[in-house]
Amino acid sequence: MHEDDHDGLTPAQIAEAMKATPRGALALAGITTGLLMAAWLAMYFLVFLPRGSVG
Amino acid sequence: MPQNRRLILAHLWVAFSVFVLAAALGVWQMWVRSPLAAPQDTPARYYQSVTGHGVSMAYVLTTFFIMGFGYFTAETALKTPLPSARWAWAGFWTALAGVAMTVAAILSGQASVLYTFYPPMTATPWFYVGLVLVVVGSWIWVAVMLVAMARFKRANPGAPVPLAMYATVANAIMWLWTTAGVSAEILFQILPAVFGWTQTIDVGLSRTLFSWTLHAIVYFWLFPAYIAFYTMAPRAAGGRLYSDTMGRLSFVLFLLYSLPVGMHHLFMDPEHSTGFKFIQMSLTALVSIPTLLTVFTISASMELAGRLRGGKGLFGWIKALPWERPMVLATGLAFFMLWFGGGGGLINMSYGMNAMVHNTAWVTAHFHLIFGGTVVIMYFAIAYEIWPSLTGRAPLSVATQRLQLWLWAIGMMVMTLPWHYLGLQGQWRRVASFNYADPRIGPWGPLVIVSLAGGVLLLVSAVMFVMNLLPRRAQVRLPEQGYSFALAVHPPQRVPAALNGFTVWNVLVAILMLVAYGFPILQFFIGNSPQAVIHPLTGG
Amino acid sequence: MSEADERAIVRSEIRWAVVAIAAVSVIMLAVIFAAIAMHINPPSNVERINPQDLHLSAEFTEANLGTKVEANGQITARIVATQFAFVPRCVVLPADRPVTLRFSSPDVIHGLLVSGTNVNTMVVPGYVSQVHTVLRKTGDLLMPCHEYCGLGHSEMSGTIRVVPSAQFRPGPDGRVACAAK
Repeated sequence: MHEDDHDGLTPAQIAEAMKATPRGALALAGITTGLLMAAWLAMYFLVFLPRGSVG
Repeated sequence: MPQNRRLILAHLWVAFSVFVLAAALGVWQMWVRSPLAAPQDTPARYYQSVTGHGVSMAYVLTTFFIMGFGYFTAETALKTPLPSARWAWAGFWTALAGVAMTVAAILSGQASVLYTFYPPMTATPWFYVGLVLVVVGSWIWVAVMLVAMARFKRANPGAPVPLAMYATVANAIMWLWTTAGVSAEILFQILPAVFGWTQTIDVGLSRTLFSWTLHAIVYFWLFPAYIAFYTMAPRAAGGRLYSDTMGRLSFVLFLLYSLPVGMHHLFMDPEHSTGFKFIQMSLTALVSIPTLLTVFTISASMELAGRLRGGKGLFGWIKALPWERPMVLATGLAFFMLWFGGGGGLINMSYGMNAMVHNTAWVTAHFHLIFGGTVVIMYFAIAYEIWPSLTGRAPLSVATQRLQLWLWAIGMMVMTLPWHYLGLQGQWRRVASFNYADPRIGPWGPLVIVSLAGGVLLLVSAVMFVMNLLPRRAQVRLPEQGYSFALAVHPPQRVPAALNGFTVWNVLVAILMLVAYGFPILQFFIGNSPQAVIHPLTGG
Repeated sequence: MSEADERAIVRSEIRWAVVAIAAVSVIMLAVIFAAIAMHINPPSNVERINPQDLHLSAEFTEANLGTKVEANGQITARIVATQFAFVPRCVVLPADRPVTLRFSSPDVIHGLLVSGTNVNTMVVPGYVSQVHTVLRKTGDLLMPCHEYCGLGHSEMSGTIRVVPSAQFRPGPDGRVACAAK
């Protein structure tokens, strides 16, 4: 690492913040991805399939 | 601080000036399509404008921004000047000459074939020659990036190539693969036809070659946004990148899976069988994996930043983030819009389900959200972020930057939500006017006007963006400063050779492309592949 | 920062990757279900035809366009997409019966959708685009050209007139045309 690049964070600070990480990220990404799946399935069942077969 | 500041700024200013003009054209186009009376409302003007808007946004803004940002990244991440500023300038002037030629062709009214060409319709040769020059200029950029990385590796044996540069070179290599399709289409099919050497074009082949380019080019545009997510946003938020390795892996996956998937643009085409469509659909599904990985890795990086700033609990870290900083705000807004744009994309790529939305306003909404929503808002944030180290001046106040970013996001949502709905109602694409007197179409009118209002917000935001960057009198000059990318929680000491270079991945791309595109292209050389007579576009 | 922390990060990423792959798999399975059980596939018949003498081909001569009930009872509508109209502009089809739509272009690329249905295909010169479907809604459905085909593209629109099965009465030659409205 180039010394100009140091961001001033100490290993102790990072270790402390990392204790709970990534529980929040997992929850956030999980919820948003879950909503995404729900939206996809809603489109699939409520719009796509009722429009009938083609091929 | 970067050495070749004028070079970088020249690229960015070409990108941003063309961008503002293209945004204005976009608003006028929506006005024409709405029930409101618009000036200059003729089909010829409309398609001229759509061509100008598409070419400017998709080819000029992006290519020039990516080249300029690539040079910036090479100099700041590797901390050495570019291997050859002279070649870089040569690339710039070549591409700029190409832009001038293409713009002149569009202005002549003889090139209104939109940015996706549609042979056997043909435009004046200068339109295509200009675009070829833009691509040639970008290839010079690719060469400069490759040499810069190779020199770094030679000078620092065993050291990891910094993530920002690794990603930039991944994009450069992907771009080389990407441009092969459209280059073959233009050089071997379109140019011989427009110069009068041949009278016919194999349209199945030209569509297939263009599809080769059509998906990966979007990832070419998207890469800088992802580079900012991984290497700028965590630091701007006061934290660190959660995992450097996952960053490398995601960029490699983008390189791999952006390419063998372009046929998902041809799901509704008659010249390909269900088998190959299904293969490319499956590969397209895989390209959502690096995006979902990115969502997690960046969320975790932000969570770390929020906790470092005292955020507690499962979601308290979100509130603790420094949302007042443009890079952080833009990242949040970009992911918000990516939810809608990516969600729409998941529906588009779903094989038979594509029939529900193909060539409707739904698709226009999808790619405006991805391009305008995720890509361009991060271009704004990157420009704000790097401006002090490029010019020695800060952009106009942080408050106006925030306002500009909010206006952009709100405008984009107001414009595209009605488009999604109208697309599902069957509102089709690329029309200069709708017959609102038809009772089946009339009810669309109010929503079309709402989307136009969103477009006006976008134009206001685009103008504000440039105003924020313009030099002003009596502006405080900042001390010379470099630019530092985000560190990782564990800054890598050594990385596996596969994640520090691209040889393995290039071989894999070649294999995937052979599987995905081998027979679909070969079929046009078996038997009598039908030829269509060229149709030169005539003035309206 | 220790090796153990780094491993914990990798573990969390792998855990998330499993979630992501599972989500994408659900979509893939639903799509495969629609393709196999519901017969919803993209139109992909890969049937070549010479666009340069389309009007002389047996199938797409002017006299053979429009809706026809074949000897075996199969209902087929043949439509030419050309700058800047569908020929014929209006096609009659019965509701709730299997129908086949066949399109081709003698000039440039066109495309079409039928509003409110999953009927959607590109029409590429050199190929016959074919869509099998069952139409459920009666009435005049919009069938616009949805692919840029030149300066007159916005004017190019057709109609699919879906009539209740009982009102679908082919003539002695098996043909049905839209009555002037």
